[in-house]
Amino acid sequence: MAAPMELSCWGGDWGLPSLHPESLTVMAYAKFSGAPLTVNTISNSWRAPKGDVPVLISEDIVISQPAKILNFLRKQKYNADYELSAKQGADTLAYIALLEEKLLPALLHTFWVDAENYCSVTKPWLASRIAFPLSLYLPGKMSREALNRILLTRGGPPLYSFTEVEARIYRDAKECLNLLSKRLGTSQFFFGDTPTTLDAFVFGFLAPIYKVCFPRLHLQEHLRQLPNLCRFCDDILTCYFRLTVSGHSPAGHDTADANLQKLTQLVNKESNLIEKMDDNLRKSPQHPPRKLTTLKLAAGGEGSSPLNRLSP
Amino acid sequence: AAEPWPENAALYQQLKDEQILLSDNASSLAVQAFLQMCNLPIRVVCRANAEYMSPSGKVPFIHVGNQVVSELGPIVQFVKAKGHSLSDGLDEVQKAEMKAYMELVNNMLLTAELYLQWCDDVTVEEITHPRYGSPYPWPLNRILSYQKQWEVRRKMKAIGWAGKTLPQVLEDVDQCCQALSQRLGTQPYFFNKQPTELDALVFGHLFTILTTQLITDELSEKVKNYSNLTAFCRRIEQQYFESHDRDSSAAAAARAAKRSLLR
Repeated sequence: MAAPMELSCWGGDWGLPSLHPESLTVMAYAKFSGAPLTVNTISNSWRAPKGDVPVLISEDIVISQPAKILNFLRKQKYNADYELSAKQGADTLAYIALLEEKLLPALLHTFWVDAENYCSVTKPWLASRIAFPLSLYLPGKMSREALNRILLTRGGPPLYSFTEVEARIYRDAKECLNLLSKRLGTSQFFFGDTPTTLDAFVFGFLAPIYKVCFPRLHLQEHLRQLPNLCRFCDDILTCYFRLTVSGHSPAGHDTADANLQKLTQLVNKESNLIEKMDDNLRKSPQHPPRKLTTLKLAAGGEGSSPLNRLSP
Repeated sequence: AAEPWPENAALYQQLKDEQILLSDNASSLAVQAFLQMCNLPIRVVCRANAEYMSPSGKVPFIHVGNQVVSELGPIVQFVKAKGHSLSDGLDEVQKAEMKAYMELVNNMLLTAELYLQWCDDVTVEEITHPRYGSPYPWPLNRILSYQKQWEVRRKMKAIGWAGKTLPQVLEDVDQCCQALSQRLGTQPYFFNKQPTELDALVFGHLFTILTTQLITDELSEKVKNYSNLTAFCRRIEQQYFESHDRDSSAAAAARAAKRSLLR
């Protein structure tokens, strides 16, 4: 139990510790169960092309897929599902299967296949974080793999054109989001008041859609219409993922100061983005830049409402 | 207004005794069970080229009036449009659960069946290749089955199952059965008193696994470990397949599935 554990995964941006859904899932689970995990973001290493991200290394054991990593953590007595009944454990498996079948294709499409999103956001982001010759090859490879996966699992007859496939996967994804929202209802986590494996998986899949600023946004817009899911993501981000990603940070509730600091950072980032957009639109240097001055903190340090209002 | 269900509705699948494979038989039985539960009469027609006749390339498909619908999901929606539904009495959260469990069965059980049939070399050589191309003359039978194998292996690679070994796949099947068993508990059906499409789907897969003879019995042993699942299959078989006429095709299908599918 005292063996140090190290997780290698893609880095993050836009307020997230990582952009990769599976890495986020593992990190969230580690935070929920209190596992001491050192997180290394892959930047200049050649380990990335092996395709196994995230990778957990503990002493000499190397484990690669999220399900296996979670199993390993459970065996090390870091179990977030301790209080679940057998039926709830079964429900967890079922909902994870739902996420993988219905939501993952649309997620892959938004990140890797949609031409505008891929060229303007994903590829530059990824290429800026990995070493030179690899940055020319790896984004293209991941994009082709994503397209392949979508076509093979979803693209058979009677859908013959790619736009029909796209329409279907987005429809499935929106239905999946609706189902998750209905299941979550008004409770804080999926099984009561403590987060479990299912919360980790849902967070891992939803947070990239929710936070990353893409030019083509329809899935994000649909997600924003489901306020309980947005609140779910924000809660986990503010409570469990504080400012730094690497190093040990115990799960717990923040003080209002830490919340305020994080919110201020996010608001400043958003206001910079909006300033830039304004400049581009108006093209008049005399026009005073708009600053967002409202920073209302609701009671208890919840900051989800101003974040929602700031979406471009 | 819903159109009435015609008398001559037909369900097409591959040839029962010589050609059909584990996964296709499971899907076909699931659809038959669903239609029985809705009390809609259907006769089963076996054709060697059923896969090619189907609009989506997958069996089974039903031919009702002048419409052709394939696969359980679209068939459920089609039947609902005609005014019959098994899941109307469920509330929103239960419907979400039902859909999630159906995805679990498709994701784990169906994929495991496909893996066993097409990626496990022993099974492929001894069972799948001889059965799949059996209605056709040489060399067409070998060409068709190699083509299908290549397709399935490509899909397995894309979803990450190609790297799994057979024990790992069986482990996944066990996990899935455990989840289903825990969800079913001591109830007669998954959503207490009334069967739904989830019950039909689970029945189709589990019954086929239990009654199909493969190279080893490992797959059916995994299901037999859970007594409430075997009791569930027995109950549905008795209620929906044996209580009809001896000549009805559905009962014949269930009886035929009992016979060994090993050539």
